[in-house]
Order: sequence, then C-alpha cells, then structure tokens
Amino acid sequence: MSTDVKVKDMMRLSYPEKISRLRNRMRDAQWRRYFKAIIAGKALGILLLLGLIVIGPAVLHALTGSSAFGQASTAPSPAMIADLGDSTKNPTINPINTAWTLVAAFLVFCMQAGFTMLEAGFCRSRETVNVLVECIFDTCLCGFLYYTWGYAFMFGQGNGFIGWHDPNDVPGGPVHSWFFLQGITATTLYAGTGVPVLAHWVFQFAFADCASTICSGTMIGRTDFIGDVLYSVCVSGFIYPIIGHWAWGPDGFLANMGQSATPNAFTHFLPNFGMNFHDFAGSTVVHSIGGWIALAGGIMLGPRIGRKFKRDGGAPMLPHDLTVGVIGGFLLWFGWYGFNPGSSLSAMDYGGIGRISANTTLAACTGGLAAEFFIYFRTKKWDCAIITNGFLAGLVAITCPCYWVSPTGACALGAVAGVLVVLGIDLLEFLRIDDPIGAWPVHALNGMWGTLSLGLFACGQYCAGGSSPSGIPVTDGTPGWALTGLFYGGGWKVFEAQCIGVACIHGATFTVAMIVFGVLTMFGRLRISKEGELEGLDLHEHGAPAYPEYVISALAAPRGTPKDIVGHWPHSTDIDQESGGELVGIKK
Amino acid sequence: MKLIIAIIRPEKLEEVQDALDKQEVHLMTASDVRGCGSQRGYSESFRGNKGVIRLLSKIKLEIAVNEAYVEPTVQAILKTARSEGGKIGDGKIFVLPLEECYRIRTGEKGGKAIGP
Repeated sequence: MSTDVKVKDMMRLSYPEKISRLRNRMRDAQWRRYFKAIIAGKALGILLLLGLIVIGPAVLHALTGSSAFGQASTAPSPAMIADLGDSTKNPTINPINTAWTLVAAFLVFCMQAGFTMLEAGFCRSRETVNVLVECIFDTCLCGFLYYTWGYAFMFGQGNGFIGWHDPNDVPGGPVHSWFFLQGITATTLYAGTGVPVLAHWVFQFAFADCASTICSGTMIGRTDFIGDVLYSVCVSGFIYPIIGHWAWGPDGFLANMGQSATPNAFTHFLPNFGMNFHDFAGSTVVHSIGGWIALAGGIMLGPRIGRKFKRDGGAPMLPHDLTVGVIGGFLLWFGWYGFNPGSSLSAMDYGGIGRISANTTLAACTGGLAAEFFIYFRTKKWDCAIITNGFLAGLVAITCPCYWVSPTGACALGAVAGVLVVLGIDLLEFLRIDDPIGAWPVHALNGMWGTLSLGLFACGQYCAGGSSPSGIPVTDGTPGWALTGLFYGGGWKVFEAQCIGVACIHGATFTVAMIVFGVLTMFGRLRISKEGELEGLDLHEHGAPAYPEYVISALAAPRGTPKDIVGHWPHSTDIDQESGGELVGIKK
Repeated sequence: MKLIIAIIRPEKLEEVQDALDKQEVHLMTASDVRGCGSQRGYSESFRGNKGVIRLLSKIKLEIAVNEAYVEPTVQAILKTARSEGGKIGDGKIFVLPLEECYRIRTGEKGGKAIGP
C-alpha cells in the first residue's frame, strides 16, 4: 500500500514545477490550441449552467403553465373572485408563527448533530471520520438540492405525484415556478399559516436532511465515498421530495385521497373512500423513507468484513464510544421538540403545540422503558444501546400521530415501539443484514407502526384537515371534524387510510432505493474495495484516523466479538471458580 | 519451553486466534503495538497537508509454549497471518528460549505452569 503511495507522491509535481511546465508548453502552438479549447469548453459549461438557472424557470413557466391549468377558463369565475377576496387564501404574515417555525427549524437542524454523534459513537473507531464527513457532506448537498428542485418537487403545486409551482397561483394566471426558489417574493406565504415560504423552506430542508442522514446509518464502514455521494443525490434530490409530495404536497394524491371535488385530475385517488392519509410530522414521510433506503443499502452492500451473526455463532461489532452515541441520542430527542411541535407551523395553536410536546415526551419515555425491560428479561443486563434505540423508536412512532392522540395513547404506542425495535433488530440479525446503528428497526419499522397507530389511537377530540368521513365535531371548540381511531370507536376507516398510505410510500421507497443501489453496485461504486475496508475507511478514504495519538487501538482489528465474550462483559472479572480458574469463554 | 513473539496484521488477529485454538493453544497475550519494517508507513492528510506516518499499527502476540507445541503454533501463525499471496507488512515470528515460568495462583513452575 505505502510503496504505491510513495511512487505517486514522487510523480506529483509541486506548483512551481507545474507553472514552469505550463510556460514551456505555452511556447508550443499545439499546446496553445489545447489550452484554448479547454478554456472555451469550461466557459461554455459555466455559461450554460448560468443560462439554465436564469432561463430554466422561465421555460418551465411556459411549458407547465398551459398543462397545469389546461382546463381552466381564461375568464375568472365568480367563485374564483370570491376566493381572491377570502382572507384565508391571502393571509398576512404572522410574526409569531414565523418565529416559531424558524426556532423549530433550528431545533430540527440540531438533530444533524445528534445523528452524527449517534452514528459516530455506534461505529468502530476505524470508520469514525468517514461517518463525520458523510454526515456533513449530506447536509451541505441536501441544502443545495433542496434549493435547486427539492422544495419545488415536494411543496410546489403540480399533480398528485410531483410539484413545481406556487400553490397560491391563480388558475389561468401567471405561474411562479419554485425551481431554484425562483418566483418567491417576500410576501409569498406558505398556505394558510402566515409563514413566509423561505422560513418554511429552512424548516423543510432540516427535515429532508434528517431523511438523508438516516440512510447512512446502516451503510457505515463499507460504502465507497463516491457511492455515498451518488446515492445522497438520489435521496435528497429525488426520492425524498417526490415521495414526500404524495403525502405533504398541496395536491399530493395521498394528501387528497378520498376527496372527489378537487380541480386536478390526479387528486381523484379513491374518490369515494372519504378519508385521506395523515402524517403529522413525518413518521412515514421522513423516517420511513430514510429507514427503507437504509435497509436497501444494507442489503445491497452486505455485511462488513468480519461481522458475524447470531445464527453463525457471533455477535455485532461493539460500538467504540457509547458516551458520544448516547449524547447524540439525547440531542435527537431535544431536536424532536422542534420536529413535532414545529410541524404545526403555528404558535397560535397553543393547545396543539403543548399536547404535541407532551405526547412526544411520553412516547420517548415509554419507548425507552419498554425496550430496556424487554431486553433485561432476555439477557439480565441493563443494556445501554438498546434503551437509546428504544426512546428513539418511541419518538419516531409518535411523530405521525402526535397531534391527534391523548397522552395515554402516546404512552401506549411508545411502549409498543420500544418492544418492536428489539424485535426488528432480532429480525435483521436473523436475516444476516448488518445495520450498525439500527436505522431500519428504529426509523422504518417504527415509522410504519407510528403511522398505523394513528388509526388505532386517534382520540376523536382533535381536528384534522382533509376530507371528512364522519363529521364528528371536535370538542375543543374549533370548527371541523375529529380524527377517531379504532380504540376510540371510530372504526377501521382511519386505519385503512393509513395502511394505504404506508403501502404506497414504503413500497415505492424500497423499490426505488433497491434500483438505485442495484445500479450503483453494477458500476462497482457502492462498496469499497476489500483492501480499503481492511485498512479502515478513515485512512483509505479520508487520510486521517479519528483518534490519531491517544487511542492506540484506533486502527486495531476489524473483528466481530465472539458470542461467548459478549455475555460476560467485562470479562476480566468473570473467572469461573468451578472450571479451575480458566477465563470464561475460552474453549477447552 | 519457548516464548513465541509474533507481530501480525491487526485484521488477522481473529483468524490466527481461531487457528491457535484448533492447535489447543489457548493462552496468549496480545497487545496493540506500532512498528516499522519494510512496509515503511502510510501517508495521512489533514486539511490538505500530507504527512507520512512511519509507524504502522500491528498486533503483538506473546505465547509461551512447551517444546511439543512450538512447531504447531508457528505453523498455524505462518499459515493464517499471511495475506493473500504474501505481502510486505505481514509481520514476523520470533522464537525465544524461556528460562522459567510460574503460575501465580498455584505456585506451580515449569512446563506445568505454562498451561495447555
């Protein structure tokens, strides 16, 4: 390895040498022509890119303006004029809602620190730098992509599958495309909340970033960095915004499911069903999308070298820094107070945000407790990693139903999440899928459970948007109807709607992710070379170990821990007197 | 009695240990060490500045065995610690004479104290 590096170093020229070589070459007419051609090519490329930024949205206006509102008549009908005068359609900026949304956005962004620490703590020291760089890279990339087209795809108006322009656009009028965040003025508000679109953009960027960071958790320690970058582009640029549009976009087909009277043909999804899909803060939209992509990545990559599974008489590789991992978990919990309550986008809904915060807390508490007791009865050890995964599972599960359930319901569904996460980890172990931080059990499995649990635990007191099946009045005084789940006498309707949404989003995400990772594997860009993996990703990809001097084991063996030793940790105290003083775990 | 000192690649530890277990050599001391040989080191980079780290991470195994076990132990290490095709940096094995050995728990000495 090192001899190659040395040869390459010798061949590499220093800058003064390069400059003198360039000057020599410039004396040659042939080289001058090459030089001109290269410069011209680069200039052309830059001009094309600038042109695309400037002209692209204009072209899209022209293209989409006609197709989006093809059926709209040019003369506005009386109903439309009434719409324009309606204060709910053109609200003024609401300062307190805006401040609330931004504070929540910053809290959600703080979850990036949490994810980074959790992943860095739960991996081996030899791949820590890789995790850090990957998380930072993801964040930067996601911000840029969410500006270019992500936000337009997700929250723009368009059709049931994808969006591109301002939902406030009057049919037949000028179309404001949201690509590159063009067509947004200081007064463009996000529908009905009084929050400026750019504030909402920051909030939603933080969400998108969560989804893309979740994916990397399963793929720790064996992913080629180029592969990382490529799949991140797919996730934050396409998979998350487009699939997210289905549930959260102004005209997504799941958001408008069951409604028969909408202007756009694509939103006539199950018009007689009478109930739409609900996901308050993103159990499915954010967490499950991330979790399923993570699982697809884990399957296509295969386990790390040296990882042995329970069935083969092994146990997982131990995390190298639980302190960092647990603090990361707590940071995530803290960030969740922006994630869930902030999703109301309204600080005026004082009852709502208080209830969401309480529900979020309770589900995390019961999730952690349930996971810890469940694992204790099995191993007789108070496990540190599993309680962290447990409270995270509770948080993921409460993310969807947090607005519509009572605190008691939150406790119950959080506890189920805590048990589910342990079973999910067992399942992955059985299927021989290497998931170092448990991204699939925590985010995908409990995202699914949380989304479905709304159909069981929605307590029938709190108002919901969308189509109404029952017309049950809400008890908190707001006009509207309440979402009522099975356990509160609402029947199976909400549960069925949630099932449809889960099937569409989870299925589509997993399928697309398998295709993306399949293509990357085909081109050999997904998994790192065997030499690189044995050397450790930190040195191979980033040229620096995370703990260069004071932790000498930083580069040590990439081995799994044999099963016998795991149960007796720390093994130095476990001298078994009866067996003649041999160390426990050493076969005779 | 001999003391076998083997310097091996860190990633080979598990394989070597498995192979030694098969030869009924269970007792050893392993340490993380740094050293340099003909492999020379590797280069690290920090904020774009490259530096060569001349000491590489290795694992040192110290195994005390009775005469009958010397050959099987050495063979097992030779076989498993070698990277595919044999590369620079695979390590070395030293065999040293061992004067005496005591087991602290029982006070036994000599070949009995060395263990299996």
